[in-house]
Amino acid sequence: MTQITLDNALKNHYSRNQRWGFTWAIWVAVLWGAWYVPGTALWFEKPFSDIAADDQAMMLGATAVMTWVHAIAVLFFLLLWNTMLGKVKDYGRTLFRFRKISKWYALASLFGGPMAIFGSYMAMGFIGPVFAAITSLFYPIVGAIIARLWYKEKISSRAALGMVIIIMGGTVIYAPGLFGEVESSNPNLWLGYLGGLMSAIGWGAEGAVAARAMDVSDPDTGIQCRFTFEVLFWGVIILPLIALFTDLPIADFIVATVTESSAMLWIVLASACHAYSYTAFYKSFSLIGVGRGQAIGNLYAIFALAFIAAFTLQLPEWYFVVGLVFVVAGTFVMFTEPAESVIQLRDQGATA
Amino acid sequence: MKLHQKAYLLVELSKKDSSWDYDLVAKALEEYNVSGSRWVNTFRVALDELSAAGLANSTDKKLDDGTHVGADKVLFKYELTEFGRTRMCETGLL
Repeated sequence: MTQITLDNALKNHYSRNQRWGFTWAIWVAVLWGAWYVPGTALWFEKPFSDIAADDQAMMLGATAVMTWVHAIAVLFFLLLWNTMLGKVKDYGRTLFRFRKISKWYALASLFGGPMAIFGSYMAMGFIGPVFAAITSLFYPIVGAIIARLWYKEKISSRAALGMVIIIMGGTVIYAPGLFGEVESSNPNLWLGYLGGLMSAIGWGAEGAVAARAMDVSDPDTGIQCRFTFEVLFWGVIILPLIALFTDLPIADFIVATVTESSAMLWIVLASACHAYSYTAFYKSFSLIGVGRGQAIGNLYAIFALAFIAAFTLQLPEWYFVVGLVFVVAGTFVMFTEPAESVIQLRDQGATA
Repeated sequence: MKLHQKAYLLVELSKKDSSWDYDLVAKALEEYNVSGSRWVNTFRVALDELSAAGLANSTDKKLDDGTHVGADKVLFKYELTEFGRTRMCETGLL
């Protein structure tokens, strides 16, 4: 029988952690990519399909309602997940410590919900899913920069190179399609651009803020705290304010959404994808860091295009294959980092 | 109200100069009245996360002879880092 040495066992231990981190990040990509199908299909169902394309105020109000109902459904799926893991009590304990700990999840939810998810729904609704997906591809750069400056997360030169290659690949995949999707006659073009920008900045900032909260709390319970705050922000503050200070029929629209079975079916599907994509997102951060987790998560570009192609029955163009090679190569560059590089994710002396 | 699990591990770490992971895990299992390999792994992963984030530092390692977690698994002895202590103060855990 072969006697394992401490060095070999250590290498196995760190490799296993690294592999789990990357596996979670790949799940982010698969489920996030799948999210664009129901997320876009939703816009073709009543009551959303009844809104006139030039009625910008109603379109934005509908997006807010859509995002809130989506967040409630995500919270339900996360509750299911934590019930299975036996972590519901731990969720309560984490949420309770608002002033010192869960406030960071509240901040993460502002970046991720009213900014990123709302922005992405705007981009999908006002321009299209391909545009929405490409603009979000740049969020790992935002996340990595904030994590580096705020709490000195280490970005090795190999990880940085991998990130650059992945982002180049994503751009190659989407850029040509982008020109076909964007119509200059679209009156809501600027809102779509704004939404895309919001999603990139929002998701990048969310990752960095959430990782700070996960220093002292668990990723599974953390993500549930984050969506609890998002539901409250929309339901208690934002939607009531919109209803009070505008003429938009927000209450009627909420009723119309939840009573429309086709719309709810897409929302439930989108929420299931997003709930577990987000869970994997947070879990990867604590094992391989925000920069790596977000960059690998960027593989969603491939899956989004594949899923959209499968449902629209339109085969991807040649540049998809070129982009695919870039993205896979970038992931490979990051994955071939020595396992020891994820033992310490931050520079010693980090204090922020 | 009990502390959430990761905070509990940090507080236990802060009580001594250093602690073996199996001792910390045993205390956590008792504190939260849970058992089984899934929970042992859950707490060990939490300790890995604390170490990766720089809040704890591994000061010693040895191979498990099968007494604690499983034969040929690595057992770690952890200490709270200065950064970990600072983070605990900021988050009201110290």
